[in-house]
Amino acid sequence: MSETIVISPTSRQEGHAELSMEVDDEGIVTTGRYFSITPVRGIEKMVIGKRPETAPVLVQRICGVCPVTHTLSSVEAIDDSLKIDVPKAGKILREICLNAHIINSHAIHQFLIAPDFVPEAEYDNVVRNVSKIRKQAQYVEDVVGGEGIHPSDIRIGGMAHNLTKNSVNKIKTRIQGLSNLLESHVEQIAGLVEDKEFPENLGVHDKEVFATSNTYGERNNLELTKIEEILPTSWYDDDTIGERACSQIPLYNGDCVETGPRARAAKFRKFGQKGVKAQHLARAEEMINAAERILELIDKLDPSAQVMAKYTLEGTDRLGIGVIEGPRGTNVHMAKISSEGYISDYRAIVPTTWNIPTMGIATEGTHHEYAPHVIRAYDPCLSCATHMIVKDDDSKEVLKDEMIQL
Amino acid sequence: MIEDSVLGPYQEIITARAKDKKIRGKSQDGGIVSAMLIYALEENIIDGTIVAGEGDEPWTAEPKIATTKKEILKAAGTRYTMCPNIALIKEATRSYGLEKIATIGTPCQVMGIRKMQAYPMGVRNVTDKIALSIGIYCMENFPYESLKTFICDRAGTTPAQVTKMNISKGKLFIKHTNAEEPFAIPIKETHGYEQSGCNYCLDYVAELSDFSCGSVGAKDGWSTIIKRTNKGTNLINDAIDNGILELTETNEGKFGLEMLRKLSANKKKKNQKRIDKKLDMGLKIPFTHSSKKEDVLENR
Repeated sequence: MSETIVISPTSRQEGHAELSMEVDDEGIVTTGRYFSITPVRGIEKMVIGKRPETAPVLVQRICGVCPVTHTLSSVEAIDDSLKIDVPKAGKILREICLNAHIINSHAIHQFLIAPDFVPEAEYDNVVRNVSKIRKQAQYVEDVVGGEGIHPSDIRIGGMAHNLTKNSVNKIKTRIQGLSNLLESHVEQIAGLVEDKEFPENLGVHDKEVFATSNTYGERNNLELTKIEEILPTSWYDDDTIGERACSQIPLYNGDCVETGPRARAAKFRKFGQKGVKAQHLARAEEMINAAERILELIDKLDPSAQVMAKYTLEGTDRLGIGVIEGPRGTNVHMAKISSEGYISDYRAIVPTTWNIPTMGIATEGTHHEYAPHVIRAYDPCLSCATHMIVKDDDSKEVLKDEMIQL
Repeated sequence: MIEDSVLGPYQEIITARAKDKKIRGKSQDGGIVSAMLIYALEENIIDGTIVAGEGDEPWTAEPKIATTKKEILKAAGTRYTMCPNIALIKEATRSYGLEKIATIGTPCQVMGIRKMQAYPMGVRNVTDKIALSIGIYCMENFPYESLKTFICDRAGTTPAQVTKMNISKGKLFIKHTNAEEPFAIPIKETHGYEQSGCNYCLDYVAELSDFSCGSVGAKDGWSTIIKRTNKGTNLINDAIDNGILELTETNEGKFGLEMLRKLSANKKKKNQKRIDKKLDMGLKIPFTHSSKKEDVLENR
């Protein structure tokens, strides 16, 4: 006898999603289907026909958790389309900003999962540490990106401003000053995660990991021909779910993948573990990795160097790719700029979109009670991933079933 | 705190000048702003400031970040033209990494800063880094083109040849290398050349600043300081105790504080009439109609 268990909406994540599981007599999940029910946002359609500078400003509003990642992917895609060579100092500043954002975003996730792992006696301390860490990381985002939430200084061609000796020293002092707290915090989180009694192999699946770089994003490590996007109706074996799901299903090499901190750790940091605990561990350790990267980069920065390339806005309709390793995984933006200097095409496949099909599969094989832990281990952020169909209002007939990836 | 609708809220009014002759030599009047900025910088009360430095052309002004004594002194002296200092405040907290900023501004700029602090829209993590607000007295300000008209058409010289400009005793003096004596233009004849917003301003003495200063009410080479907030008052007192400023007797009479009050009251009365006229026509202006004010001289 199989039973269907539905969690809707799944909690402590960004956006709305549903988890539908078929379980056997023991309550073990035999089929897990996780899908987005976040409605359409349409930001990629809005930027079409606009000047390229508009795109980063608009797309950074795709999500309030990850604006830095979307801004960077957007400028990288447009830089690529216009064949702009960003100066070295500009590249350094972009990477510093992303790594500060990774520390900040991972800390927020630890706050979200705290009720699962942190005992009451340590709760206050952990949450306070999260705030302290975020404060320093946000300072770096403020100073480098111009604005902590929607960075205004990340521009097509580079950055609007270089740092000064003074702000370089401040970033250095603050991140160095943070390292002790960061290490003890990561150790505490890792310890709590290790101690948690979970069934063996919780969240382990046999899908490939997907990452392009350790700390920034590398378009050359991504083969566009291997990316395939299908409609949810052809992915989910349950039609009612396929029709309600709001995201397209991206496949790499013909199958779904896992992206995010564990994927990066597995590919670039010799991290061999799998499953829920491994994801939390990789995410926590990545905070230290990011802090070390900031310190490494800030020493290489020349505050008097040029940070902005000279360029003209006339494009050739060449497909530009912007690949950024965001906190939740690989964020891919694609843009075309017309010869008149307007955006003619814009698409994005955001990190959680990659993970959506994998997350359901990862719940399979263990008791359904643990499924929410599996979902949370991916730190899903669904506001970005949506597709749209056009229906006739009277006959309810589907007139147009196309993907716009948002 | 003395509540005064003519001079704004204040604790005490004194007459002082910078003790350091080098500072006075470069400054407009008593060198108060330069001396206080350098003192606050050396005492670690501020870590930088936004000054009105020299722009691309002589006698233009351009906002610049100053974090050293040298940079502050380089910008000393008044340029009688607009300088959007506040425009640089966000950048000061960002790539310049400043965390304790002193701002110097005309009354309208001080109002802008206070409004920014009350409603920090678009200035996240900026307003908490404003450590000090110094106000300077201002009757009106001129666009650079107006200034050029005074220099070229009236004084018959070029901006590059002008060595000093100052306003005193109802006249704008332009000192230049072609003549021994400075060329004087009665202030009355400069009307119409000011920026139009100045005609609706009810603040002459930067009523919302931590302390404000200017030459009016003091003898030549000295400045009148209005101590306002506790922060401003304490800082001025410390500077006096530490020998940064030296005091002289404050003239309460006709050419002293009476003059300051008279000029402030005149500006308020004159501009309130213009505000009333606009409001009567149904136009929007962020000031109150005199009929709705208990005290017409109040800056609101």
